[in-house]
Amino acid sequence: MSRLADIPIPEDLIARARAGDEAAQARIYRALAPAVFALVRRLVGNRAVAEDLFQDTMMALFQRLGDFRGEAPLGSWLRQIAVTRCLMYLRSPWHRARLHWESDDHEASLHSAMLPVTPATSSDALDVERALASLTPIGRAVVWLFEVEGYSHEEIARSFGRSVSFSKSQLARALARLRQGLAPAEDQEACTPI
Amino acid sequence: MHTDLNEKIIAGRLRAADENQSEAPYDWAEFQRRRHRSSLTKVIERHRPVAIAAAVLATVLVTAAPYLRPTHVHTPALAPSDTVARNDVSDRQEQARTRAIEGWLARLPHDRVIVRVGTHAAVTGLQDQIAALDDLMSAERAAGAQPSRLDALEQQRAQLVSSLAQLQYAELLASATP
Repeated sequence: MSRLADIPIPEDLIARARAGDEAAQARIYRALAPAVFALVRRLVGNRAVAEDLFQDTMMALFQRLGDFRGEAPLGSWLRQIAVTRCLMYLRSPWHRARLHWESDDHEASLHSAMLPVTPATSSDALDVERALASLTPIGRAVVWLFEVEGYSHEEIARSFGRSVSFSKSQLARALARLRQGLAPAEDQEACTPI
Repeated sequence: MHTDLNEKIIAGRLRAADENQSEAPYDWAEFQRRRHRSSLTKVIERHRPVAIAAAVLATVLVTAAPYLRPTHVHTPALAPSDTVARNDVSDRQEQARTRAIEGWLARLPHDRVIVRVGTHAAVTGLQDQIAALDDLMSAERAAGAQPSRLDALEQQRAQLVSSLAQLQYAELLASATP
């Protein structure tokens, strides 16, 4: 389950923030910002780009809070805004040009991509960071939305403007690569004497 | 079955990695500062097309002003017959000036079109540079150049392609601006 969707935000706090109460807005920001940034960072990888998209998402939150009907948790609503912005970025010519540029300097890009999103606290977490970094941006986004955020293939396909089979094949490829990347750790676990 | 189990393990590890992340990139004060800066930028961006149009119009008016004076409509046929002899010298000067202006106008492009000079020139320039670089690379390859030299040229080309893509994307965004 997504942490972002699970963060409870009291309704009266939302109402005050909607009315322009800056203290209420600040409280909502402090509650949701870490999870929003974590999600954006996972989807786009690059920190500078993630900060821009994060800022954009949080600004959209306060600008469009009047449209929030409260049918779903605020975190779920905000998650949709963040995901839409990230996918728009991943589909943009700007991003494709950046990938083209980085592919010419593959070693350097691989090295920078392998830098963990947050300092890993264990070797297992580091393995996961490395395995995620080895995926393509689209593959990483699909696997993250499906496995962590709980999106269905239909929702992913709709978000990307593609077919369901696109989502399934991207997921299958990403999982195969993750299995490969995480295999040594699993093997070690399997060989640990009881 | 085995695949499903693997997927569950992987999903579990991904979620565990997600739990490790608990930091916002910056605090509320910094968010507010960036928000105000962004709002200001958006106001400027919103008025940019108007400002560009005004600047172009002003440039056109300033450039065309000397040629819009009433002296241009003066022709010998309209002059009273008793003043023709007296103004003979000044008429010849006027005709010479008119011919010079007509010559200058004849050298201008015939089709009057609105051209977005900045991006058009930049795109064409980049495309030319990429083409020139392609020629150079072909020649270098044929001459058996060092791989490092070819790598440097490839990098230069990729940079140009990247700039071109950014420019065209910016153009796309600008065209979408109302």
